[in-house]
Amino acid sequence: MLKVENLDKTFNTGGGNVHAVQKVSFTANDGEVVAIIGASGSGKSTLLSLLGLLDSPDAGSIDIDGVQLANLDSSGQTKYRSTQVGFVFQQFNLIPNLSAKENVMLALEFAHWPKQDRSARAEAMLTMVGLGTDKADRRPAKLSGGEQQRVAIARAFSAQPKLILADEPTGSLDRSTGQKIVALLHEAATQQHATVLVVTHDEKIAQMADRRLEIEDGVLKEIA
Amino acid sequence: MNAVRRGIRNAFRNAMRSVGVVVILAVAIALSISMLIARDAVTTKINTVRASTGNTITVSPKGFFGGQGGGTPLTTAQINDLLGLSNVTGVQESLSENLTTTETSLKSPTLAGFLGRQFGGSGAGVGGSSSSTTTFTIPVRVTGTNSPGNAVTGGANGGGSEKLTSGKSFSPTSNADVAIVGSTLASKNKLKVGSTFTAWSTKITVVGIFNASSTFTDSDVLMPLATVQKLAGASGEVTSATVVVNTIDNVASVDKAISKKLGSVADVTSTQATAEAQLAPLNSVKTISTYTLIGSVIGAAIILLLSMLMIVRERRREVGVLKALGAPNRSIIMQFIAESTTFTVLGAIVGFLGGILVSSPITSALVNASGGSTSTGVSGFVRRTGGSGFTGGGSGFTPPAGATGGGLRFGGLHSTVTQLHTSAGWSTLGFALIAAIIIAALGSTVATATIVRIRPAEVLRSE
Repeated sequence: MLKVENLDKTFNTGGGNVHAVQKVSFTANDGEVVAIIGASGSGKSTLLSLLGLLDSPDAGSIDIDGVQLANLDSSGQTKYRSTQVGFVFQQFNLIPNLSAKENVMLALEFAHWPKQDRSARAEAMLTMVGLGTDKADRRPAKLSGGEQQRVAIARAFSAQPKLILADEPTGSLDRSTGQKIVALLHEAATQQHATVLVVTHDEKIAQMADRRLEIEDGVLKEIA
Repeated sequence: MNAVRRGIRNAFRNAMRSVGVVVILAVAIALSISMLIARDAVTTKINTVRASTGNTITVSPKGFFGGQGGGTPLTTAQINDLLGLSNVTGVQESLSENLTTTETSLKSPTLAGFLGRQFGGSGAGVGGSSSSTTTFTIPVRVTGTNSPGNAVTGGANGGGSEKLTSGKSFSPTSNADVAIVGSTLASKNKLKVGSTFTAWSTKITVVGIFNASSTFTDSDVLMPLATVQKLAGASGEVTSATVVVNTIDNVASVDKAISKKLGSVADVTSTQATAEAQLAPLNSVKTISTYTLIGSVIGAAIILLLSMLMIVRERRREVGVLKALGAPNRSIIMQFIAESTTFTVLGAIVGFLGGILVSSPITSALVNASGGSTSTGVSGFVRRTGGSGFTGGGSGFTPPAGATGGGLRFGGLHSTVTQLHTSAGWSTLGFALIAAIIIAALGSTVATATIVRIRPAEVLRSE
């Protein structure tokens, strides 16, 4: 279970301080898909960076299954990212000279999965996201956008993280493919008992989530 | 797939760039390898030359000069004392006598010429008629030596061109009535091994014939020192001695010690300065190759450093993604070090082979371009009791270099110093390996610092 309390993040842009995230508090349960919607510059990507420990908050706390992330040192943060968090990006961000399977195995390597299990686990994850073995050895450039995002989802879920952070996962896809991707995230979250936070500005995609949160000028509020 | 394997694979990600980086590195490494080989070859040659050439000191009676004679001969006892000096590895003694037709049955193959007639006393003086006739003939030079091997076949005292063409030499300690004669003299007098001639009314047997490719040297007779001393009535006398010093570096100190020991009875001359002058071009090549070697290694490191910096900057997003996925800095750094090491190893292999191929012509070009001059030999000495001048003549009297121990053949030295043997051994390979490691390490430093500074949130925010 994810518990966020009074999270604050301010950037100094030179022209003044920008409060990207202000007093953000919310909780999300295991297996739950939560959509965070908001306009560009509203602070949704900053919120994901804070939750993924890619950036540090000025104040507030993040708690996953009772573990306070603020207490982690640099090494602990790296370990947290490799084992507890999975990222899905708008531009997929697959490593171009690695095959689909190798991209998934990369996450398993960083999470220190046993070497002998990595290959089978990667294949299983690719199968789960609907990519057959015929595409497992293809490099990203040989896959469509939807297929690349499936690989990214397989990579994100492969090490069985507790939290999946998806930043505009459908932004580079057509609506039909985007809906399939969100459905896939939903299915994976249920199967893996992971909390999925999906940042989007697409209302129809957001409606597929279990809950919707809206962020505006760094302030988060629940949408009924 | 671990970080190292990923790094090696990344090295081939952009074929065009990889080939470019490897080729540039290979050129730089080839240059450094060829400079190393050139430096080694030159250093070896300098050490060889310093240990074997220019390390002699000529000791002659005070007042002796060239063929003019003069002064009081030194004694064997005086010369043998020099063996006790530090850094002296050997002393070669000789006694030279000019035998006229009344003292030997041999006839010199050398014509007297204008100067001969002048010195003979019956011809016209300088500037006079050259058509006058004379019965004067050039005397035959007989040299007694206690180092026939060096004298005939060349060796530490600078001889080098005299070679036995038939027969054998004599023992250094022999006092037998034997001789080895120059090929021109042998031809003129129809001598061959086993033939005899007379000198000082004694029958001398020819045991060998040598050839020095020099008209004057090939007109000489070499005999055991003890025999000449006995027959010439010059027991214990020597007209020249060559002191061999272990290395050219000690020539000055030995020179001083000899002068101190013999005092005013001897002239002591060394060829160190001339030999050093001859070695100067090689020292110059050594310096150039050392600086070029260091420069090319640094150049290669800079090339790799800039290439890796460019690659890291190009892959900032990828590094950010890897960090977001939980890759520790050390894993990412290791990946880039493996990539730069792959470039370097490939460059080192190609460069090593290229360096070996071009090292010989580059070394030759460097040595030739650095210049160097040839010098003529220093005169030898002939005993003239009573201090009378040399009565021979002709068109000059070239000393039997090596045979009398007084001449260092600098023409030969020059060709020797420029004949370098280049070779690459394990040490060169070891250098290539160490250079590759240094280049890879230096080339990765800035890239490593850049990787550590990359913050994934900033990279990903740019989406």
